[in-house]
This record gives sequence, structure tokens and C-alpha cells, in this order.
Amino acid sequence: MVTIDLATLTVREANEKLREVAALGQDIELLNPDAKHHLGVGLTTPAKVHIRGSAGYFCAGLTHGAQFIVDSNVGWGVGDNMYSGSVVVGGNAGAIAGVAIRGADIVIKGNMGSRAGQVMKAGTLCCGGNASFLAGYMMYGGRIIILGDSGERVGEDMSNGAIFVGGRIQSLGSDAEIGEVTPEEDIEIRDFLAKYNMPFTGTFKKVQGAGKKLRYSGSEPILRPLPYTEFTDQSSYWNRKVQEDIRVKASIGRYRIRGYGAAKPLPHLGDIAIKVNPDRIGIGPDPVKSVNLRTKLGDRHGAKPLELSFPVMIAPMSFGALSRSTKMALAIASRLSDTVENTGEGGMLPQERAEAKQLIFQCLSGRLGWNIQDMQKADAIEIYISQGAKPGLGGQLMAKKVTKELAAIRGIPEGIDLRSPSRHPDIMGADDLVIKVEEFREATGYRIPISVKMGAGRVRDDIKIAYKDGFDFVQLDGMQGSTGAASSEVLEHVGIPTLAALQEALDGLEECGHNGDMPIVLMGGIKDGIDAVKALALGASAVGVGTSALIAGGCIACMQCHVGNCVVGIATQDPEHEKRYETHKQAQAIHRYLETVRWQIAALTQALGYDDFRKLSRDDLVAVTPEAAAMTGLPYDPSYREIEEQILTKVA
Amino acid sequence: MGACSSSAALDALLHNDADQPHYVPPPCQVACPIGTDVASYVGLIWLKDYEGALEAITATNPLSGTCGRVCDAPCEPACRRTSSDGAVTIRGLKRFVMDKLGSTWSPPVQLPTKAKTVAIVGSGPAGLTAAQDIAQAGYHVHLYEAASKPGGVLTWGIPDFRLPAEVVEQDIGHVLTRYPGIKLHLSTPLGEAVSLGDLTAKHDAVLLATGANAGKKLGIPGDDLPSIVDGVTFLARVNGGARPTMPETVLVIGGGDVAMDACRVARRLPGVKKVRVLYRRGPHEIPARKHELHAAVAEGIEIVYNVQPVSVSEGPGGQAILRVQKTKLGDPGPDGRRRPVAIEGQDEDIAAGLIIASVGQKSISRELSRCGLMADDRIETDAETMRTRMAHVYAAGDGAFGPSTIVNAMGQGHRAAYYVIAQLEGIDNPKPYATPNRTRTVPVAQDPLWEKLPAEDPAYIPLGDHPETFSESEANYTEQAAIEQAARCYRCDTETGSADYSVKLRETIFEMVNIAPQTAPRAAITRARLVPREDPFPPEHIANFDDLTFVPANLSRLVIDPYRESCKTRTVLGGEIVMDQALLISGFDDAAEPVQAAVAAGIAAGGGGYVGRKPIAGNIPWLQLLHRGETASADAAAVIGIVDDALFVPPVAHDGQVTGLCLSVGQIAAGIPFALEHKIGIIILDASRAIDKSWPELHSVPNLALISESIELLRAANSEEVLDLVYFGGIRSGTDLAKVLSLGCVSAIAAVAPALAIGGEITADGVVFPPLATAKQRTDAIANYLKAAASEVSMMARCTGKTNIHNLEPEDLRSLNLAAERATKIIMAGYRRAS
Repeated sequence: MVTIDLATLTVREANEKLREVAALGQDIELLNPDAKHHLGVGLTTPAKVHIRGSAGYFCAGLTHGAQFIVDSNVGWGVGDNMYSGSVVVGGNAGAIAGVAIRGADIVIKGNMGSRAGQVMKAGTLCCGGNASFLAGYMMYGGRIIILGDSGERVGEDMSNGAIFVGGRIQSLGSDAEIGEVTPEEDIEIRDFLAKYNMPFTGTFKKVQGAGKKLRYSGSEPILRPLPYTEFTDQSSYWNRKVQEDIRVKASIGRYRIRGYGAAKPLPHLGDIAIKVNPDRIGIGPDPVKSVNLRTKLGDRHGAKPLELSFPVMIAPMSFGALSRSTKMALAIASRLSDTVENTGEGGMLPQERAEAKQLIFQCLSGRLGWNIQDMQKADAIEIYISQGAKPGLGGQLMAKKVTKELAAIRGIPEGIDLRSPSRHPDIMGADDLVIKVEEFREATGYRIPISVKMGAGRVRDDIKIAYKDGFDFVQLDGMQGSTGAASSEVLEHVGIPTLAALQEALDGLEECGHNGDMPIVLMGGIKDGIDAVKALALGASAVGVGTSALIAGGCIACMQCHVGNCVVGIATQDPEHEKRYETHKQAQAIHRYLETVRWQIAALTQALGYDDFRKLSRDDLVAVTPEAAAMTGLPYDPSYREIEEQILTKVA
Repeated sequence: MGACSSSAALDALLHNDADQPHYVPPPCQVACPIGTDVASYVGLIWLKDYEGALEAITATNPLSGTCGRVCDAPCEPACRRTSSDGAVTIRGLKRFVMDKLGSTWSPPVQLPTKAKTVAIVGSGPAGLTAAQDIAQAGYHVHLYEAASKPGGVLTWGIPDFRLPAEVVEQDIGHVLTRYPGIKLHLSTPLGEAVSLGDLTAKHDAVLLATGANAGKKLGIPGDDLPSIVDGVTFLARVNGGARPTMPETVLVIGGGDVAMDACRVARRLPGVKKVRVLYRRGPHEIPARKHELHAAVAEGIEIVYNVQPVSVSEGPGGQAILRVQKTKLGDPGPDGRRRPVAIEGQDEDIAAGLIIASVGQKSISRELSRCGLMADDRIETDAETMRTRMAHVYAAGDGAFGPSTIVNAMGQGHRAAYYVIAQLEGIDNPKPYATPNRTRTVPVAQDPLWEKLPAEDPAYIPLGDHPETFSESEANYTEQAAIEQAARCYRCDTETGSADYSVKLRETIFEMVNIAPQTAPRAAITRARLVPREDPFPPEHIANFDDLTFVPANLSRLVIDPYRESCKTRTVLGGEIVMDQALLISGFDDAAEPVQAAVAAGIAAGGGGYVGRKPIAGNIPWLQLLHRGETASADAAAVIGIVDDALFVPPVAHDGQVTGLCLSVGQIAAGIPFALEHKIGIIILDASRAIDKSWPELHSVPNLALISESIELLRAANSEEVLDLVYFGGIRSGTDLAKVLSLGCVSAIAAVAPALAIGGEITADGVVFPPLATAKQRTDAIANYLKAAASEVSMMARCTGKTNIHNLEPEDLRSLNLAAERATKIIMAGYRRAS
């Protein structure tokens, strides 16, 4: 038994020591814990850890295989996302005990706070006393045992799993119902209680998901999109697209769903001109060799930064929305072009990890596929707050795409119509977010950059929170960002354009006195090196490409991603359709696309007279529409439109 | 380069829509040497507009029936669906249309209008195509054909089981009937019946389209033995009607189209027992089209790969003994294909009754050689202008460029015609010819299975008991099959549904993948993208709901889960009228009774109320519209006075009835203070200016300023919450409603939108209701429309962090352009400007 005294060590030092000692097979006791946060976080070796006193937030969080005993109370999020092992708490637990666990036994001898077991996938959460409201909120699996009273709205929006209540059920949650306790279940519960020495002689009532909410009768008809010109012609207000929308909604009684991003014209990078003489493009020595394009992201707090050979990365897109083959092609292409790939929501594929040289692991509200082992394999961690295509909405995956394999990696039941929660269980505001970031840093030994992904809303305000919460960099996503499925109303009418988002972010950072240490990666409708140069000159540090990379790999922009029958095998989980996608061929295609983007950035930088893309500035740009000028503060110079057209005509 | 000139006739041949903003020629069309508008005809087939499809097919193709049977179809491998689950079966679809309409089609006759004449030698694909173009331009054409029947390779080269004679006759018949200015001179071989000198003397221009009229020999010892025949000669004989009895064993040497035709012809002739094809490369290299190869194998023909002939000798009983070498693939030759290399010491002798050498074709003409026009076995021809060494003499087709496909020859025919016409019109420096690319902007097939339907080739018809009849070996599609195959088309030609990822943009990204990684193409693609796009919001743009956007809750506010968490939609008007949701319906005062009944039942199910001059049903809130001097109904929940000229206080039928005024643009400045003064509960802001007329939203646009100006007036009077604003004009969806609520209204009214929901159709006379739908369908439609609207408005509210739709506020919105900012005073997203 090794003793670690938190009176003399910081939590970071104590956790490092803990991991070191546990690796040697020793048991540990922690003295003077004094309700400090993150105790034991990130431990992935089996060891016995005895905490002599009370622990703060996320005690034993993000661990795999260890056994924790806490003599007194714990703060919120005890056992967060625990994979296996156990935590036995002698006293009471705060809110979200056992949040997002994927296994493990979490035993609270006293009472537990609200939303216990939120989005848990497997394992057992057991409470000797009473639970507060919303126990089992949105749980996907596993069981919760409450020996006392259930609290209000128990089992709210649970997808699967079961909650066994020994005391009074105060009220059932939305979409929850009372089920029958089978004799087998009863025996298993009592064995569990005996194991943890919790005598109980009463009977149990079972709460389970009713599965009625988020189920729709009648599916939306499959309709290929009308040309966008149908709804951009101002002379026809009640155009065919409007009529189609109304008729479809009159038949299904709800909003429509589709893939891709905002389809209507919005102020965008195309409304900005680069003050470059087109004749100068490509006339110098090989621009890729003579212009510096390398950049780093993520060393604001001493983590090992991502190394980009040019300031373009692959935007987050999930295995789920996309087929495995497509994810693999993106990973391979990112390696060939020496940049960064991103898991998106829903877990890390082992082959994806192997193929991508650098991989960002995305953490979302539903904690689907989230786990400590993959976190530690990641090159950066990204906390998703929202995305440009559908800020406010969680991820949406139609049942057709939730295959057995996909369900397994995400830790959810097969074939459910998946709608991820809109909020993280443990991030209700800026202060929680700081603690969450700290937890992740503890779990990964402060080695890995931690970024935030934000859709574009009140960016000027939101970015200040991101800055103060200490993120290493920000992935900012405008409303031109795409998705595999979302309400078409949200796609078109929620969020602000990418151009405005970037400007608000830069202004917001300026206002809070930053010192240029939190880079912005801009995404949402970036098509090529021309768009990238404009974003970089405005002040982004890098850009992300998602849809354009998919198009480079054969997507035909039919916007039917949500249907799941993707004709080219990209947005599908149907093996018959997926086999249409030739991973290696398309990886090469995406790679060639990225190399053209690289060349374009280098050649434009060179044509502007610079040897480093970081020398690009706002002075290299003008706005050619009043809107773009208003959104960016760039000078409005419509004459530049004519100049460029003339030069092009001359060249042609 | 000096200035190019043109003429109407030339421009007609250059039709190019590639400059259009919303069209990029799709790969199938680009691959077609005659620029067939494939995507349109496939789209038209799905729409069952077969006449339209016929027009698209025949526009650049005088041999459409023929092509439907035997075109090499370079469009199909170019089809983007090839790499997914198989190309769209473009050729088979063409045949479907031609079989359906080809025999009854009678294109308008066009007489010559100009005096000049052109001689065309050869009536094969190149000659016929050029003849049609030149006749179309108004000139006389004299078509000289050496044989007794026109058609060239179509008639003499391709056997009837692939291309029935009637199909060729029909195609040629169409050309000759349509253009009486084309005079056909049969059995008039060049150099015998007529000399080149005669032609140049008699005509203003001469086009040589003589074809690759002779088969090549094997070029090995024993080549001249009587048991060896070349494929061209063999096929010409059979296609001329002969049905010779074959020896038991036949060898065909070669792997091209002629070899396939020859082996399958031999297989069908009497006496034959065994047909073998010998090819010097492997199965991956064989140039024959896959379906023909499959047909040959299905007909019992053996294909022997990786063997090449060495010599032929005479064997016993008139048999030929062919000595062959085994081969393997070596390094690529000058044509990029890997050369067969002989494996020494593995020679073998094969005995056969007949050897058919199908190893290539060439052009032979003593007359042209005599005139010095030949270079080796081709007519020396400039591939750009189709000129030969002799002034005013042009050449096209296989005779000029060596053996190729029918459609290539047709493409050359078009090109030659273009330069011949230029000469006839006295244009020395015409714009360079380019294959036409035309679109007919056909809507995409709305087939829900378009992603799933498998590619299905036209059915192969087996030999049967009487192979010597040469009956067709490929079936036509049924209508059902044709429509399914047409549904599979990606429609690469159509504009996408996204202004951001438009068709031009998508093709630019494809080009970024496909261009050579070299400076020039990369610089060109970069320069093209430097040109700013057109301003999407030109000065004349009038702001509408789409020009406002919601700002979602992110870090600075807490989002409410739009999937799960509740959001209140309950709406109270004038302090009295309680509704489940905020959208009112109007516009059905003059609709037929069944429509009214359905609307009423739909509102009862979906919530809300009705605004009109007449009540629509008993149990739903009715906001009565009346003009000055009219009487209030006791049934009305509210009485709303429509202000025509002077303001007035609407009458009530009983105490507790809510009163309201309907104000249009120009009336609010006086009307709002008046309403406040007289304690009026509701103001309808009528952007249409004609709320009680027939469908006024069809003739007006939304007016966002009406709301913001009203709010300003209320604010100035310090009375923002005192009365309820209800907006009318152009509301389509719950999202529009959410924007109206954010701007400060309590409710909105929709009329055209629910009319469309219930099946109404917009006509010049307003909205009409076809008598198709049942009462239940109509009721459900209105209820669903209202439910969807409620789901949308509450989704917007929750995204912005609200649990009640009436908590939406102007701060939840941003303007997307300056027009919207001016109209609403809602700031634009982005840079904070000094106000």
C-alpha cells in the first residue's frame, strides 16, 4: 500500500504518482483529499485506490479497471464514463453520478443527486438512499438500482436499460413506463447488493423506456432536391420549393429533414476578392517549395501540438453519418497530405486511428463511443458544443444507419432512431466547462491539446468564454457547414454565416484582450485554396474542409445523406451501398484535392509577395458586396469585381 | 489569332450551353463525339415524354435507331454511376425510344434554299451525318455510293442480328425524306463511275467519306490460301444476303468488333460446329464490348486468349493448319497498351476449315492514290479542319482517320460539314468547331428508389432453333424497365439544391481532383475561382423572412433540447382568445363548402383560429373581419375592423368581445395611437393590403418593416405589451412565424400556405382546389400543416434557448443582408459597426 498525501501534492502530481504506482501493481491510499476534483481520473490499470475522505468532481472519472473506495462524499460526475472497475462511496454523491458509464459498478451508500446515470451505456449504478430528480435521464443501457425513493421524472427519455426502485416512485419521466421485474433480474440485483454488503429486504419496481417519443408514423417521402434556382428567384415567392415543402409537411405533420448545409445564398467568402494580380499566379518558383505553409495548433498550455503541413484539416464527420470506407479514405488522405483527421461523433475506428497520422477525437453530449482508451490514443480532443449546420440540435442518425457494428462502437442499442442530446450532461455553463477541460487534461496527462467546436451563434460572446476556459484552439463552424441529417428549417434559419462568425470571433478575442494564443480553425463552406486564403487573411489560423473533401471523393451533392441509401456509398451503412465506395481510389482523389488546395494557398501567397502564409492579412482583401463589407469591416470596393473579370477574360 | 467570323448556319452546329450559369455538360455528353444531350433524354424518358426524348436524341444524331442498337456508347463508361453500381444503360434507353417512336416519326421536310452543291463520297455514318448538316444549312448534296444500297458499314459491316436492315433503312429514310436536297447516287464508285476531277469540277466542295473499306491481312506466311478470308469481306458477303455453308470448324483471329461479328455470323451459318476466336492479349485487354463477348460465349463460341498466329499451311482435305504461339503481356507499346510477347517453344497447330482474319481495316482507293491524297492506307486529313491536300476537298470517317466507331465517324461528319459550310458561306476564319453541348433543363426523376435500382442491360436473346435467320440477339426494354433504368441517372447536368455547393462548384472540385498536378492547369483553375460570384443581394432585393436568421444558444446561453424538452406554444389574443398554437388561418371565405369544412376540422385538430368575413365552423375561434358600417356577429371571438379610409372603432355584438383593427402600410402611424386610445386589443398588420380579398398574398410580398415600425410606435407610446400584433402576408412555415414572433408579434395569419397544404393549386385566378382529395385527407393536411408549423416555431425557440415561443425576442435574430437590416433594424451578424 502506497500513500499519497494531497496535502503536499497538487492533483496533477497526485494523479501522475497514482498512475505510476498503479502500473507497478501497488494499491494506493489518498490522504487529505479535501473534496478536490478529478481524483484518480485517467487511471487505466487495475489497482485498489482508497480515498480517505471526500472527493470533488469526476472522482474516478475516465478510468478503466480500477477499484475505488471513497470514505465520505463525492461531488458531481463520480465515475464519469468509467469503462470497468468499481467505485464505492460511503456517503452521498452529487449530481450525475455514474454519468456516461460504459461498464463498472458505481455504489453510493447514501443519497445521490439529480440526473444520476445520465446517458449511461452499461454497468450498474446503485444508490443506498434516495435519488434526486431525473435519475436515468436519457440512459442507453445498464441498470440503476435505487433502494430508497426514485426522485421525480425517473427514467426521462431513456432509450434502454432498466431502473429498479426499492422505495417510492415519485414520478415517471417522459417516455418511461413501469415494467415487470423478472425473477432473474431480482436474483441478479440481490447478488449485487450482497457483493457490496447492502442489506435490503423490500421489493423492486422496474422503470423502463416506453419507446413512444421520437417515433413517427409515416416517413418523409424521398424527394431529390429541386435546383436551388427555384427558391432564389425573387420574382416567385410561392415557388415550387415552397409548395413542395408545404405539401410534404401537410402529409407528415412535422419539419422536414435533409443532408448538407444552408442551401440558400448567404454572404460568403465568394463576396470577397483577393487583391492579387491573377497573372502572377504560378509564375514564380514552385510555390509549395518556396512558401511556408507549416503550422502548429494546440500548444497554448504546453501540450504537444498538432503539426499541419499546410493550414487545412479534415472537418469532423462521424462513422455513422459516413460509411466506414469513407472514414478510412479521409484518414488515409489526411495522412498522405500530412494533416489532421477528426473522428466526429460516435467513436474512433481502430483502422481510422491506424491510418490517420494525426487524429482529433470528438467528445459529444451523448458520449457515444467516448472512452479513456481512445482519448489517450488521440492527438487532440475536441469538446463539441454545437455545429454550424444545426446549432442547438444534437446529432441525428436515422435507425437505418444504426447497425450492429455502429451500435457496439457507440455503446447504444441497435436500430434506434438516434437523436443525440443538445447539451452535455456535465456542461451547463462556462464554469462547468473549465472543470471538464481540466478533467480531460488530467485524464491525458496534459499531453494532448483540447479544443472546442462551436456552431456560429453569438460568437462574439461565446468566443470569450472559450478563451477564458482555456481551450488550446477553437473550431468555429458557420451556417454553411453541412451535416448528414437535420431539420431543413434549422439548416436554413439557425446560425450565422461563416464569414460573420469569423469576424465576430476575432472581434470578441480582441475585446477580451487576448494575446493571439487561441487559434481559430474556420469551417463551414470552405471549398478550396481560394476560400482558405481569404479565411487565413481575415485572421483564421487554419481551415477545415468537410463537404468539399467528400465531393472530391465522389459525393455528387444530391443532399440525400439522411436517407441512408447513398448512391455512391458515402452516407450509408448499407453494405450493398457501401461497397460502391472504393476506399483507396477515393483516398487518392481526396489527397489530390488537398494537394491542389495546398498549391492554391501557396501560389496565392506567393503571388501576393509573401514567403509565409502567416503574412497574409486583411490588407490583401476587399469586399465586393455591401453585405460582405458590413460583415467583415473590409473596405467595399465593387470595382475589384470588374478588374478581376477583365483580367480573366484577357487570360482566357 | 485574328477575329473569327460566323454565320447562322455555323452557329446552329455549335450550340453550346456550357456558358449557362447552372449547367455543366455531364461526363456522358462530353464523352459523346456528337454531344448527345443524354441527361435530358434520360430524364424525359422517366417523365414518359418520349417525343421530347426523341427530339433530344435525334437533334445531333441522324442515325439514332442504329445507335440505339450498335453504338459503342462511350457515354456509358464515362457515366459517374459506373464506379458505383454500374453505368446508366444509355444505349438501351435510346433504343427504347427509337423502337417506340422511330417508325412513326416524320420530321418536317426542309427544301434546299441555296444554289451551291456539295459532293459526298460514301453514305456511311460520316457521309450521312455531313449530308444532313449541309442540307440543313440549305445546300444541295450529292451523295455518291459505290454499293447498290446506302449505309456503308451499317449495311455491309454489321450483321442483322445486331442491327436489322429495317433500322438502317428507317434512319436513312428519315434523312432523305427530311432533306429532299440530298440526291443519292447508288452504284457510283469513285474512280469508276465518277472521278474526283468530275466532282471537284461539278461541285463547290467534296467530302470523302469512303470508310475503311477493306480488311487487313494477317501478314504471315500462308496468308493467301483460299481457306483464309478477311472479316470485312466475309461480313459484306453475308450481310449482302449470302448464307454460305461453313466448314465444321472456323477460326476467327482478332478481338475487336469485326471479330465478334464475324464469329457470331459464322456460328449462325449452316454446317458449322465449332467457332473459336484467337486473341493475342488477355481477357482484360480484349477491345470487344463486354455484352458482345458475353453473347459470343453464350452462343458457344470459344475465346482463346494469349495466342498469336505464326503461319498458315494447307492440311488434308482442304483444311488450313494454323500455327500459333502462346503470348504473355510485355511492356506498353506506343499506343499505351501492353504488347503481346511470344513465349518461345510452345507453338501449337490448329486445324480449321476456314480462318477469318479480323485484325484491322484500311482504306483503299486507287483514284485517291492517283490524286495524291493518300498517306499509307488513309486519306491524309487535317483533324481540326478536315481538309485534305486538295483545295475544297475534305475527308471524314474511317477512310481519313482509320478504323473507329460509328459515333466517332458521325462526329467527324459534323465537323467536316461545319468547315464545308464555312467555305460555302465564304468564311475564311470560322470559330473553331467544338462538339455541341446542349441542355434541355429537364427535371430530375423523382423516383424514391433511384439510389437502389440496379443496372439492368437489355436482355440477351439466345440463338434458338434457327440461327440462320439472323433474328435479333438483344431485346428491347419494357416500358417499366426503361423507366427504372432512366430513374438511375444522377443527372450530373442539373443544378444542385444548394446555392453554396452549386453544380459549377461541384465540378470545380472534381476538376481539382482530376487535373494534372502541374502549374498551368492549377493556375487556370485558381484564376477562374478568383472572380467573385454575382451579388446574391443586389440593390433591388426586397427583404423577406429568409433574410433573417436565428442565433442559437451555445456557450453564453443554455440550449433547450429541441428533440425532447417541451416548449410552450399556447397563445392568447386580446387577453381572451386562447389557442394551442400561434398560427391563424384565413382566406377560405369563398371556398367550396367541403373545403371549408375540412379547414375547420383541421384547425380544430391542429389548434389556432380562423380569420375571415364569415365564420368557418362553430367551435374554433373566429376573428371576424368587417368594414366600417357592417355588423358584428355574436359568434365572433373578436371583431376586426378593416380600415379603408377613416379609422373607426369596430362594433361589438356583446360585452367581452375582443376588438381589433386591420392596418396596412401607411395606416399604422395614425392607426396604432388610435387603437391605444380606444383600448383596441388586436392589430392585424396586413402586408398584403387586401386581407379580405381573394388570395392577396399571391400579388404582394412580405413587409418586415411593417412590424418593426409598429413596434417602434408602440414603444414610443410606452405601450409595447398593451395590444397584440398579428401579422399577415407571406407566412409559409413555422419558421416564418417564429421570426414574426421574435420581431414582436403575438400571432400570424397564413392563407396561401394552408391552401397549398390542402391541395390547392396556384393559377392565374388565385388558388383552386382540385376535387381529388377526400374530406379526411384535407382535414389531416390542415392539421398536419399546423402541427408542423408548431413543431418548427418551437424548434426555433428551443435552439435559441427558450421554453416558450412567446419569449422569442429581436435579440434572437440577426439580419443576413442590409435590406433586412433596413427593414427590421435587426443588426447584421459580424463586424460591429458604428450605428
